[in-house]
Amino acid sequence: VTSRLQEIADEFQSVPQEMRVELLLERARQFPPLPERYHAAQEAGLGRVHECQAEVYLFPEIVDGGVTLHAAIPGHAPTQRALVGILMDAYEGASPDDIAAIPNDLLRRLGVDALLGVQRQRGFGGVIARIQHVVAEAARS
Amino acid sequence: MSAFAHPEVLVTTEWLSENLFDTDSVRIIESNEDLLLYATGHIHNAVHIDWQTDLQDEEVRDTISSKQFERLCSRNGIRPDTTLVFYGDRSNWWACYAFWTFKLFGHADCRILDGGRAKWEAEGRVLTTEVPTLESTAYTASSMNPSIRALRDEVLVHQSNGGAMVDVRSPAEFIGEVTHAPGNPQSEAAMRGGHIPGASNVPWSRAANDDGTFRSRDELAAIYIEEQGLTPSDKTIAYCRIGERSSHTWFVLSYLLGFDHVTNYDGSWTEWGNLVGVPIETGEPE
Repeated sequence: VTSRLQEIADEFQSVPQEMRVELLLERARQFPPLPERYHAAQEAGLGRVHECQAEVYLFPEIVDGGVTLHAAIPGHAPTQRALVGILMDAYEGASPDDIAAIPNDLLRRLGVDALLGVQRQRGFGGVIARIQHVVAEAARS
Repeated sequence: MSAFAHPEVLVTTEWLSENLFDTDSVRIIESNEDLLLYATGHIHNAVHIDWQTDLQDEEVRDTISSKQFERLCSRNGIRPDTTLVFYGDRSNWWACYAFWTFKLFGHADCRILDGGRAKWEAEGRVLTTEVPTLESTAYTASSMNPSIRALRDEVLVHQSNGGAMVDVRSPAEFIGEVTHAPGNPQSEAAMRGGHIPGASNVPWSRAANDDGTFRSRDELAAIYIEEQGLTPSDKTIAYCRIGERSSHTWFVLSYLLGFDHVTNYDGSWTEWGNLVGVPIETGEPE
């Protein structure tokens, strides 16, 4: 677990459940725009995450062994924006090995598991697996 | 063009915009796949009912109980005679699922906003983040309506009698190449891919126009009756992966085409694909 992830988890755990919804909404609102240099790739359909019903695009970038994850997620999928946004923040500059070790109980650590329900938790597990896959591919090339 | 069998269960965006403030007799209910979408903005006076955390009991893996349903209605200011208008994201999948659940508990007047959230937004209509303050009620549920729900043992009997079934998943899921929708997380995955033997494959989306509204009765009849050979007087079971896309088709067959007895198998492929000792079929339909 990166120290940034621990900080985010502490922030979520320090407030009651209903406030965690507000924290997620805030994260969804602050979701960073996809850098312009990736717009052409997105329009060409590259980076599309096929595990997601919402149109999620992921573009990992590795500079000197540190990973930066760029993504595009539409505004009508705020839950995906919030959760992927947390991962982008928590793993900024982390190594591909750190990303391969994203804990699979991440949502429980944030205290939002019960809020989301079992099926959404499993759905997000698929998104994490996809992020790990694209980062591992980028690290190999 | 022929009218729908039960046209009163569909409302237009125009109708809803004229009835937004009639909170005494109309309750607008948003049900989405996305948990946070309602909070980012919703139709004025709409309440939020979530398919997972409000309508399902995850511990017993079932719909909520009658008592839980009564509490849900009471806190949302719903009376047994309230007109409920459901809408949501994803072409109303979860709105149809919520509609089905309310019908299961015997609520009389349920309707769907044709085109759902996407159409309302596309028309530039107003959304608000203000959550309505509604006086709570003391809702008493009328008798359950279990005839619209198929449980696995009933599906097995129906299947072995050669009964009509519609599998509304994508062709890849039906054939058995994948156990989840293309572009959907590998959640709720089943042990096996394929379909219930004897089912027709009509992906739910064939019933919808690009703007999320339902196709006309003639277009729907051409698909389900002429092309697939389904008969409105036959008992018909709809299923998908977890029972939400099939709620959409259940709605289409029951209310728009007027089939006499359609049931939604909400256990769907997530249950059937994992059951020991039940028949499955893979590959293209005969």
